[in-house]
Amino acid sequence: MSVGRPFRIPEELGGEHRRIRTLSWLSIGLLMVAGTMIYLTVGQSQAMKTAWISDVLTAIPPMALLVAMRYELRAPSKRFPFGYSRAVSVAFLVTASMLSLIGLYLLYDSAMKLIRREHPPIGTMELFGHQFWLGWAMLCTLFFSMCVGILLGKLKGPIAEKLQSKALQAEAEMNQAEWMSEGAAIIGILLVAFGFWWGDSAAAAFISIEIVRDGWHNVRQVIADLMDESPTKLGERELEPLPERVRDAARALPWVAEAGTRLREHGHAVTGQVFVVPRSASGMDGAQLLQAAEEATATLRRLDWRLHEILVVPVSALESTIPPRTPSDDDRPR
Amino acid sequence: MFTIVAVAALAGCDLPRDPDGTLKRVRGGTMRVGMVVDTPWVTDSGDGAGGIERTIVDDLSRELGAKVEWHRGSAEQLLDSLHERELDLVIGGFTTQSPWKQQVALTKAYYTDTLMLHGKRTEQPHAVAVAPGENAWQVAVERVLRGKRNEFPTLRRAAGR
Repeated sequence: MSVGRPFRIPEELGGEHRRIRTLSWLSIGLLMVAGTMIYLTVGQSQAMKTAWISDVLTAIPPMALLVAMRYELRAPSKRFPFGYSRAVSVAFLVTASMLSLIGLYLLYDSAMKLIRREHPPIGTMELFGHQFWLGWAMLCTLFFSMCVGILLGKLKGPIAEKLQSKALQAEAEMNQAEWMSEGAAIIGILLVAFGFWWGDSAAAAFISIEIVRDGWHNVRQVIADLMDESPTKLGERELEPLPERVRDAARALPWVAEAGTRLREHGHAVTGQVFVVPRSASGMDGAQLLQAAEEATATLRRLDWRLHEILVVPVSALESTIPPRTPSDDDRPR
Repeated sequence: MFTIVAVAALAGCDLPRDPDGTLKRVRGGTMRVGMVVDTPWVTDSGDGAGGIERTIVDDLSRELGAKVEWHRGSAEQLLDSLHERELDLVIGGFTTQSPWKQQVALTKAYYTDTLMLHGKRTEQPHAVAVAPGENAWQVAVERVLRGKRNEFPTLRRAAGR
């Protein structure tokens, strides 16, 4: 039985799991460098301000993930008997809601600047004794920040895939989406260079919409997690066939007549119950049944490394309400 | 590398430009300057402004071959006109921490004055105000300010307290 034990990442994936930590630190470091560079050239450009906030914001999820990872693998305690796997979800909920709110504020700010027809003043700066238009420096820092985002996204994507880590996947997507934000800011500054003042605020509005979209997408996903949603495919809304696989494996056991499952995601782990109806012809007594159920737990857990606290519950009959139900029910949109 | 080349190429082709074409209009034309008296930065010399910031206007008008049209008024009136782009430049001993900095474009500080304020040593970075978003114009003004950066301490000392 695995109840009451801490969730373990399997040996072969341990390296990847440790790499999340390295990657998170790398993200924070690089995003801070990019953020500082943008900050130094921000001037009075709304697009730069928004790009800067967006940069700083994308550094928060890796921080939250680092904190959550300290808790995630802890053993369940008297106070938290189900363990700490959900720490990741909690970290995610906080950052995603914050992201959406800040995005909304920035959208309002940029829209107001457009409505009030505020022209962004961008003066000169001095570097190594040369004086030049600050806009050129903005373009360079935005380009750097864009490269940072693309690089981080490319590094995180495959690891998220291997670990089936939604938090990391969301981060990878967020980093990848940065190219659009920075790209928009670059176009905005170029428009200003050519004398189109609205380019700046328009770019800022676009970036804010991106931030809100990101945040909202993540809020929805994490709320589904906290609502004990059945495991979904990484980065998609489609349900995973894992519950069916577990049920079919349970049905295939010689002593089982019928089986049903109820699984949910618990951070990186998948937990839940497998209800089994023993064959009446099997003639098992109580002790044999107990042993068979415990063996079944071990067998079923081997189906997928994420299966953690799987409880095999022998019942006399399956109620029609035990999921997974008929396929038409499973596909019903949420 | 590509960006540096691209940016350098762009920097070559007469950018940034003004949304309202201030620099083009001022060059060889008329420069509308608002003046708020604030001794010793801006004084009233009868035919226009005097003081330290008058020399900035003189250098600008010489460089651009522009006539100067003086407008006297309170800071509030003049900066509002500047915001509406009815003026091109306002001088009045403004600092970069001016409460007006959101409404108009203050240039980079051309000189940082150190004085005792409420018993504390306070640094006051002085700047002039230009029409917001007229970036080619702002760049031109800031170039003149930088060109004069060695004259300001002397001017300041000559003006006394």
